[in-house]
Amino acid sequence: MAKTYDYLFKLLLIGDSGVGKTSILFRFSEDAFNISFISTIGIDFKIRTIDLDGKKVKLQIWDTAGQERFRTITTAYYRGSMGIMLVYDVTNEKSFENIKNWIRNIEENASADVEKMILGNKCDLDAKRQVSKERGEQLAVEYQIKFVETSAKDSLNVEFAFYTLARDIKAKMEKKQEASNPPGGRTGAHQLRANEQQRKPTSWLSRCSVL
Amino acid sequence: MSCSSVEDIPEQCKDLFTQDGVLLKASIGRSISDLNSIGMLCIVQNSDGTKCIEWRPNDLITIDSDTQDQEWAVVNTIGRRQRTLSGNMTSDYAAARARIIRIPLDELKTFKCSRNNQQMQFSTKQGVWQNTFYFQHGNAEIFVAYLKNHVKTAKTRHDRNTYVVVEPNIESQVLNRSFAELDIFTENTTDVVWNLVSNFKQRPYETTLEAFSKLTDIVYYGNEGMNGKRDVSEEVAELLTKSMSALEDTTTVTRTDEYEVINVKPTLPPRPCIPRGTPLSTEKWEGLQDPEGRVTEIDGVRQLIFRGGVAHSIRNSVWKYLLDYHPWRMTDAEIKILQKRKTEEYFSMKLQWRSMTDGQESRFSEYRDRKSLVEKDVNRTDRTHPFFAGDNNPNLMVLQDILMTYVMYNFDLGYVQGMSDILAPLLLLLGNEVDTFWCFVGFMEKIASNFDMDQAGMKQQLVNLQQLLTFASPELAKHLASKDSGNMYFCFRWLLVWFKREFSHRDIMRLWEVLWTGLPCANFHLFICVAILDSEKDVLISKDYGFTEILKHVNDLSMCLDVDRILSTAEGIYHQIISAPHLSDQIRIILGIPTVGSRPEPEPEPEPQTSQTNGNVETDPGQTDMEEVTLEYNGLQISIVTKTVWALLA
Ligand SMILES: Nc1nc2c(ncn2[C@@H]2O[C@H](COP(=O)(O)OP(=O)(O)O)[C@@H](O)[C@H]2O)c(=O)[nH]1
Ligand SMILES: [Mg+2]
Repeated sequence: MAKTYDYLFKLLLIGDSGVGKTSILFRFSEDAFNISFISTIGIDFKIRTIDLDGKKVKLQIWDTAGQERFRTITTAYYRGSMGIMLVYDVTNEKSFENIKNWIRNIEENASADVEKMILGNKCDLDAKRQVSKERGEQLAVEYQIKFVETSAKDSLNVEFAFYTLARDIKAKMEKKQEASNPPGGRTGAHQLRANEQQRKPTSWLSRCSVL
Repeated sequence: MSCSSVEDIPEQCKDLFTQDGVLLKASIGRSISDLNSIGMLCIVQNSDGTKCIEWRPNDLITIDSDTQDQEWAVVNTIGRRQRTLSGNMTSDYAAARARIIRIPLDELKTFKCSRNNQQMQFSTKQGVWQNTFYFQHGNAEIFVAYLKNHVKTAKTRHDRNTYVVVEPNIESQVLNRSFAELDIFTENTTDVVWNLVSNFKQRPYETTLEAFSKLTDIVYYGNEGMNGKRDVSEEVAELLTKSMSALEDTTTVTRTDEYEVINVKPTLPPRPCIPRGTPLSTEKWEGLQDPEGRVTEIDGVRQLIFRGGVAHSIRNSVWKYLLDYHPWRMTDAEIKILQKRKTEEYFSMKLQWRSMTDGQESRFSEYRDRKSLVEKDVNRTDRTHPFFAGDNNPNLMVLQDILMTYVMYNFDLGYVQGMSDILAPLLLLLGNEVDTFWCFVGFMEKIASNFDMDQAGMKQQLVNLQQLLTFASPELAKHLASKDSGNMYFCFRWLLVWFKREFSHRDIMRLWEVLWTGLPCANFHLFICVAILDSEKDVLISKDYGFTEILKHVNDLSMCLDVDRILSTAEGIYHQIISAPHLSDQIRIILGIPTVGSRPEPEPEPEPQTSQTNGNVETDPGQTDMEEVTLEYNGLQISIVTKTVWALLA
């Protein structure tokens, strides 16, 4: 079997209902936007393989339903995720305020060293804006999390966001690998063979999450 | 011989299938007064495992259900003391009982279904129809379908409605064969098995108990005397597994202090293939109403809808009954009054939120949050359907208005995601805002627990689904559990909006109306899940799908499912489960039928089994998960699991 990827990263999109999580994912996986998108019930994921510094990185991106009462179910899927996108809607103050709650939610349910990023979505809707870019940046500094404003509609910064998050995860992983491997060891020592990953993606993921 | 202890085992005689609305038309040797009385036709399993067709007049049924002792059950007289009627039975009851008609299946020779599925005739003697029944709802084909699961039949060449019974006792033959194939035991023990096989035909019940006592004996005592260190228990487990392999059983052997329990987990009876019916037609629907518009045959209507759904042209009318907006017993005139009142009530609630000023709204965050959720979801509901497509579609406004009015109707619950999915097909069909609202209220009544703040209702259903699947398809349940998916979370979407996302509008209407009938048992929607999963079982297991693949596969089934096939499979699974001899209380609770632990009483007891002192615990069925029977064999006390025995006799 041909080698299809070098890494598999599990990512998660969270944030209030209607902020554009599914649209961002749709933009990233299909490069399309649909104004009348169907609301998400339960949980689903999409796959896209990207090229990162010569390595094929397969991103498995999980999309969740936003309403609070469904969290008990959706948090079950947080486990093993290596990166989380926290999404708010720049035209909705409440969704911005809730980012703090979502961060708390992550702390309770995801592994401690998961990579995070804050996205202020729908930045194309300037006329309706309720949350300034500065406030977004301030929040990011407060929590020491990277931040970018996006538009799923206009395809603004969506690629950038996922590439950034994936690159951070990769760097963190490689650093940990180096720390645990004696220097001068084989450079590809941390890589898994593609077939192996495909057969047991979950067990591989759970190992990665504790790296 | 250990026959005496057999008497301690409670008689079990149960209905495998019942069908209401069946009139006795003709019966040889019956007084004329019995004819034309209405009753139910059943397939009954006797305590000894034999089965019969039984017709019971309706006036008997009430008495029948509170005396579950089944004393009058026909018992196999060979090798067993004939039981007599118990003394406390009233003569009225005895007289009523005499009116029951029983046709043992192993005596049944031919049967016939005629007159457009309205009539069935049975014969135990060539050339004479002893009993003729008339099916009020014209659905005799259903009885035929079930009956064919219990007897092997061939159609006669000259008449395609007449069936000839070819082999009455097929299951015990299968069992005999599987035992005959065994040769693991040493000479001595093989004899036990062979004796079992030869005795089984004459005295199935005792023979089985006896055989198991011996097997148990071997397991527990065989080690020491004969073969030193050899672990016989494994062999026996293997033997049992193999013996039941025709029935795909699994076996566990557990060791307790005093005895060895060989717990054969029996598989279910074969799955009947039940054909779907035709939808309730306009003519039938009108025929089921009296001149003033009352629906007269409520149960009959439900049965018909369960079987075939509702013809599209009358859905608009029938759904209002199914969703408890229009009471079945109301006249047309009364419904008019009701509708007027409900219309006023609706608009007054609508006015409450419509008259809210911007200022009020700005100081009412809970209301604001609900409103914004509704707006977001309405814009994301079925927008690809022409009825809801396009910008500024007025139907979206109606969705919005109904959901907002529902927020005022039930502010505590408010709006929860998924509700717009529930509402959309109702509006699409009913068209009218007020009707749609009240039907939505009725639907929400049925599934309110799905939307609980704490999601306890959803979690309970997922647990129940897992239990049901473990019972119906243990292999798949095991696979899911091994892939971290035993919590069944991947079925969340199915359950939350009752499969709305899995089917087209046309199909979801069919599925929902069938489920709204509440037939054939509580939680039938869980059987729909089991049916879908069961049909994907081979893929899920053979491809060794893991946690993520299971979710993906299940999500991707959306719009690829055949609603009629699934309904038919679900019903088949239901009948497998309901007629399973090892039905546990856990499953009984899910099905909404009485548990065996607490004896069926007319009034439900507030605190069952707490302060009760029952002196006869050992033979009281179902108090514990495992029912044990103590037998004497060669002076040794041996306990075995009675479930096992029932399984063998099923
Ligand atoms: N103008 C604009 N609308 C967006 C954008 N992203 C999402 N939306 C719209 O916002 C609504 C909610 O989006 P959705 O992806 O379903 O949100 P989710 O609940 O977070 O998954 C939809 O009607 C989208 O069309 C964006 O970048 N710009
Ligand atoms: Mg979404």
